[in-house]
Amino acid sequence: MNINKKICTRCILPDTFPGIKFNSNGICNHCLREEKAIKKAGEKKAAYRKRLDELIQTQRDKAPVYDVIMAYSGGKDSSYTLKLLKDRYDLKILAYTFDNHFTSPFAFKNIKNVTDRLQVDHIQIKPPWETGKHLFSLTAKKDIFPKTTLLRASSICTTCIGMVKSIVLKTALEMSIPLVAFGWSPGQAPIQSAIMKTNPNLNRQTQAAYLKAFPDETKKVINTYLVPDSYYEIYKDKFPYNIHPLAFFDYNEEKIKRELETIGWKIPSDTDTNSSNCLLNAYANHCHIIRNGFHPYVWEIANMVRQGIMDRNEGMEKIYTDQNKTMIKYVEEKLDL
Amino acid sequence: MSNRKDKIKNFIIENFLFGEAEDLKDDTSFLEEGIIDSTGILELVNYLEEEFELNVDDEELIPENLDSINNVTSYVEKKLC
Repeated sequence: MNINKKICTRCILPDTFPGIKFNSNGICNHCLREEKAIKKAGEKKAAYRKRLDELIQTQRDKAPVYDVIMAYSGGKDSSYTLKLLKDRYDLKILAYTFDNHFTSPFAFKNIKNVTDRLQVDHIQIKPPWETGKHLFSLTAKKDIFPKTTLLRASSICTTCIGMVKSIVLKTALEMSIPLVAFGWSPGQAPIQSAIMKTNPNLNRQTQAAYLKAFPDETKKVINTYLVPDSYYEIYKDKFPYNIHPLAFFDYNEEKIKRELETIGWKIPSDTDTNSSNCLLNAYANHCHIIRNGFHPYVWEIANMVRQGIMDRNEGMEKIYTDQNKTMIKYVEEKLDL
Repeated sequence: MSNRKDKIKNFIIENFLFGEAEDLKDDTSFLEEGIIDSTGILELVNYLEEEFELNVDDEELIPENLDSINNVTSYVEKKLC
């Protein structure tokens, strides 16, 4: 591990994280602010589990074909979410994979094994390589998103995720699917967003803010993947609920991996420590660390350490280990950088 | 009123503007100006629920309630009255 900075003594946020302050015990302002919420977390998670049970009762079997569309990368968290939705609720699921041209061969094997074993329909979309190359080269060279967004993810990841969220929402609207599921970890997004009906106005505005970040010549390309303006009228009564159940179900990485092995998912040997599906991730982290001075996953992992979901040493290992040089070189060559 | 507004403003400045508040006016749109993104809006909701002990319903997650200091303050005032 390479640590030459001050780190919060409770979570793992470094002094290079924008706006961070430490008290006399070396505890950061984010840990102090979250103390009250963490005390009530158990109660809140139980309430959300009950809420999801109730929501599914009201939505099940109402759609023409599928109850839920799952944004499925083949990674650990989305695979486990898929298993949870099938095992606990026996929903009719459409798994949807966005292949960004850097999906690892290992992840594809896992996708096949898991969807076959769970008997889930699966489709995927892959933009032309020219598009992928253009977008990732652009965001490899500079940060195009606002500072707040960059606290939680790299420019490269934000580009990808923005497209994924829009594509699955578009598909849910077109196919009248009432639930959209993601495998966000408990550190990735606040629990308030774990069960939430998509608000069309808010979605329209956040999508516009996402699009605004791109240079004019790229906007047309990106727009292809976003929810068209006309959909807000055509499908105004069909906007789905977003769910990300891992925010409120027990989350233990080792237990998740063990359970996934029972359905043919294997720990990948071709990805970095923060991803179990994407070969671009180490390079995205590398670019972000150079430009911003902190790891793009540090917010998520710090949240999980703070919540007691991840051991602090494990979190330190994930964040403060150097990025894999071979993977960085692989991406640089593929993108001609 | 001003106490609540100050608390909301301080939360935005500390968590989204990293202490730099020069360009933040009470009617500045968080989303349009890139101050808060979609995840940030939910963190704001989390803060409002904890700080003011209120419950934000799904249908209230609209820019008219949450997209500026003025909008958030008015929304909180309405919820608490």
